[in-house]
Amino acid sequence: MRSGLAALLGMGVLAAVPPALGFHPYYLFLLSTAFLLAAVASAWNLLAYAGPISFGHAAFFGLGAYGAALASLGGLSPWGAIALGGLAGAAGAAGVGLLSIRLRGAYLALGTLACAELLRGLALIWSEVTGGGAGLAGIPALPVLPWLPRVLTEGRAGAYYLALALLGAALGLFALIRRSRVGLAFAALREEEERASLLGLRPLPWTLLAFALSGLVTALCGGLYAHVVRVVEPDLVFSRHYSILPLVMATFGGLHTLLGPAAAAIALYLLSELVLHPLLPALHQVGYALALIAVILYLPGGLAGLRRGGRRAHP
Amino acid sequence: MALGFSMILGVSRSLNLAHGDLVVLGGYVGYSLWAAAGLSPVLLLPVAALALAPAALVWDWLLKRTPEPKELSSLVLTFGLSLLLQTVMRAIWRGEYRLIAESSLGASLQLGTLALNRGRVLAAVAALAVVGLLWLALTRTRWGQAVRATSIDPQAAALVGINVDGARRSTFLLALGLSGATGVLFATLHYVHPAAGVELTLMAIVLSIWAGVGHLRSVLAAGLLLGMIEALTVTGWGPGWREPVVALMLLGSLLARSGGLARGHAH
Repeated sequence: MRSGLAALLGMGVLAAVPPALGFHPYYLFLLSTAFLLAAVASAWNLLAYAGPISFGHAAFFGLGAYGAALASLGGLSPWGAIALGGLAGAAGAAGVGLLSIRLRGAYLALGTLACAELLRGLALIWSEVTGGGAGLAGIPALPVLPWLPRVLTEGRAGAYYLALALLGAALGLFALIRRSRVGLAFAALREEEERASLLGLRPLPWTLLAFALSGLVTALCGGLYAHVVRVVEPDLVFSRHYSILPLVMATFGGLHTLLGPAAAAIALYLLSELVLHPLLPALHQVGYALALIAVILYLPGGLAGLRRGGRRAHP
Repeated sequence: MALGFSMILGVSRSLNLAHGDLVVLGGYVGYSLWAAAGLSPVLLLPVAALALAPAALVWDWLLKRTPEPKELSSLVLTFGLSLLLQTVMRAIWRGEYRLIAESSLGASLQLGTLALNRGRVLAAVAALAVVGLLWLALTRTRWGQAVRATSIDPQAAALVGINVDGARRSTFLLALGLSGATGVLFATLHYVHPAAGVELTLMAIVLSIWAGVGHLRSVLAAGLLLGMIEALTVTGWGPGWREPVVALMLLGSLLARSGGLARGHAH
């Protein structure tokens, strides 16, 4: 409950930031990217809550981006296109989730990585549809909402509030799931799959649900990203960064906690872009790698220890 | 089609997601030395292997400290190391494509009626020599015994007086040295660039699944098979298909051998 209040408070503060910055486009863009990454990290965390550690969220992000871009270029309104991209990502994620029938743990992680690489390769080859290495350009910008003040929905500010809303939705979804029977089922399967299935819980549908929800949120982020940047390229939206950054951020922020991954995502991204980037332009990604290595080595028990910490954090 | 390098690749296995990036690093180190000092590629092999020794000690130190569940943690950790290496390599070599274009390697070798590219012959010979030597070392020396024992059961090995840490460390030194040398061979045949490591890593995993961990002779066979599939893919459908096919092979192999790769370490 307290973390929910903290989240609402944080959202309120963040919503007041653009006017305070005088709607400076660069900082707004930076922050909206941070929110998108935070939402992806929360989606990754949602999947990890049910057990699987994914190395392939770039697959879902890219599916969402390409799905939305294609639908939008095909004449659908951007909102419909983003929703469609989200559904494509959810379906793709459920497909990847089928791997869990045969694979566990590290091998499932490798499988998700292979899926992401496969999709990136296909996007590069299938140039009639995806535009190949050059990608798709000329994606329409998001329309201005008529019933809201223009200054809040135009250009970067519009993207800022949409990204913030998406992050809020991702956190809300996760909070809702944790409090529901679905969350209990996820946690049971994560901790004691054998015992849970003895109690009559069939693992597969729940795992697929976790994959699909996580893929949905990630792909919505991808679709929004496509409409903000207005270009999609295989190496941009299927980039391995969208696989590794959520993992780094969620692990760093605290696996299975509500706000940890999102907070860590925003903090790490801003640290990397605002502090490390000016200091070491070529090396600023190193921060993520070092953060990950430090967490694995120095948090007692690493991933498993965080898991225990996460369990204590909620009833 | 670069059979040689894929053979070596299979020898030095573990759940090391940064493996391909280390190979690329070896390639870049080799390239820099070649461009700066004009060393012959044959001399570059041991130099690049030595250059990766510090990295080997770091890898050994880090992976010894990864918590349980070991396989998943090492995977996550080396995923981070892979990002680290790619960033550093991009910073140093600016993401450029590099090739060790030694003219003597481009010349063809006349063997009766067969005309062979000397660079590929060198790669194949070096790969065979390394696999042969490694096989001898692992099966015929006390050091090899220690390494194999450590790989089967570290606790029991320690009980009978084997220096487990030493065996581990030398395995890492050897494995990363091999990566460095492989990188040089790779750079004589293909352009290296910072992002090339992923595909190499995936190929290394495919190979070790096919061959089973630590079976050197099956690694040779698997390497040949993978090289042939790769060559057929590239000539049949074009180079763009290489990555998806490698990814597909990884998926297929994982699914087929879901219990396989029983232990995290090779040998």
